[in-house]
Amino acid sequence: MRQTAFTCVVLAAVVALSQSLAETQGRGAETQAPPPSPQAAAPIDLTGYWVAIVTEDWRWRMVTPPKGDYASVPLNDAGRKVADTWDISKDGRCEAYGAPALLRMPTRLRITWESSSILRIDTDAGQQTRRLLFDKSRQPSTAHSLQGYSLAEWERPARAGGGGGGGRGGGPQTGPAPGANLKVLTTRLTGGWLRKNGVPYSEEAVITEYFDRFAAPNAEEWLAVTTIVTDPKYLNQDFVTSSHFKKEVDGSKWSPSPCKAG
Amino acid sequence: MPLRVPLLAAALVLVAGPAFAQVDISGEWGRRIHEDQPHRNPGAELGDYTGLPINAAARQKASSWDASILSLPEHMAKPHPAQYFMRGPGPDMRINKITDPVTQTLIAFTLEGIFGRDDRVIWMDGRPHPSEYAEHTWDGFSTGKVEGNKLTVTTTHMKYGVIQRNGVPASAHATMTEHFIRHGDFLTLVTIVDDPVYLEEPFIRTSHWVRTSNITIDQRFIFEVVDEVAGHKQGYVPHYPLGTRQDEFAKKHGLPFEATQGGKETIYPEYEAILRKALAEMAAKRGSN
Repeated sequence: MRQTAFTCVVLAAVVALSQSLAETQGRGAETQAPPPSPQAAAPIDLTGYWVAIVTEDWRWRMVTPPKGDYASVPLNDAGRKVADTWDISKDGRCEAYGAPALLRMPTRLRITWESSSILRIDTDAGQQTRRLLFDKSRQPSTAHSLQGYSLAEWERPARAGGGGGGGRGGGPQTGPAPGANLKVLTTRLTGGWLRKNGVPYSEEAVITEYFDRFAAPNAEEWLAVTTIVTDPKYLNQDFVTSSHFKKEVDGSKWSPSPCKAG
Repeated sequence: MPLRVPLLAAALVLVAGPAFAQVDISGEWGRRIHEDQPHRNPGAELGDYTGLPINAAARQKASSWDASILSLPEHMAKPHPAQYFMRGPGPDMRINKITDPVTQTLIAFTLEGIFGRDDRVIWMDGRPHPSEYAEHTWDGFSTGKVEGNKLTVTTTHMKYGVIQRNGVPASAHATMTEHFIRHGDFLTLVTIVDDPVYLEEPFIRTSHWVRTSNITIDQRFIFEVVDEVAGHKQGYVPHYPLGTRQDEFAKKHGLPFEATQGGKETIYPEYEAILRKALAEMAAKRGSN
């Protein structure tokens, strides 16, 4: 008897939920609500102040390495020839602060939403600004620049069993999602330097970046940015680095310092 | 029972939020050493502690370290310790998924290819870490939990080892948190070592692999103990005396000695200005001599 009662309760719950979902889906089809903005749909919050922690490549990031020191970088012969033309008089120039190398600098980041579809990254080192655009329909400028043209998209973990694109009912996914990340593709760069000592990348370079946020056991919040530079002109394989940033409570340590125009 | 379980399952599926697929890190992965290459292969020079948030005790220990200690029979057959081996020369590795043959649930990942075949097991079945009095091993005891594109691994019970191959120590009290983050065919590993004995703050670094099918994993799993150096007196332990100033690295690269000694103040952007000033003073001093 108790088993029958239990079965009835569960069946009733299943039927009620199914009806409710069907109604929700029906309403969605009728009203065609516009998709939420990238800001509203953000699965992780990247905004705020972040400080670079330089525990890797310290000798190439904290100081300007000597000419010809391109250890770790998969430069080809053409790249080495260009790197060997650098001299110390060029130290501090803005070519070192282009998008492929900017986040590798000892710097702080200030990340804000410039609009609901443009995520903005400012650095105090070199005083640069990157704009990550989520609107793919926007016509990009043909001009090349130091920070290039960056298209961004949220990457959410795929739904189990497929159907990664839409939520239940076919609508777009919004709100926090564990393990989601931001992917950014940057093109239309002017050439610049991967290192302060003139190790080059060319105007043909394309950067793919992944922004991941996570918490450490001591409750500190971290941002890791994996940067993959593809440059058929000066590199003989993809150049892969990742830079890590610790969250700061405010901008009290923000200390802008400009780079030198070339 | 007959109807109860399936019905309850159906109800739970409808009530629960969306289920996310879990990241799968299994496969063969080729290293990419585009960071700290000289530190990793051939290995950091004596006295190079740049980028390490170490304290005075770690510095003292590292400064007395002599590479010849690895020629002693007691040290000759040591694999790399867990605090270091994923960074090290960067292993080409094979990650296997171990599943229960009946239920097909994930029990563990195993990692092959670590130097000295110190293969790892990352337990995924929710088992607890052992008692703090349990044996410490080179690979430690690791448990993992998947969250979206990340596998978060907690490792305890590691042996006394190093975080860099020039004698910078890691104590047996250290714990390690790792995030294996997969982006398509790229794998980024974030490693955070927390060591209350030797670090001023947790030490974080990131390493990379690319999915590939043609790696040759390190097969040097049999370490033979031989007499490498003849004539040592019994009980001889290669070392530098306490208080040795390991300044060869600083001189070679024209850096202020203090800057090469690590410490948490040296890894924040503010230190760049301090370093610039110190370098200018060094240049001025050279000019006046």
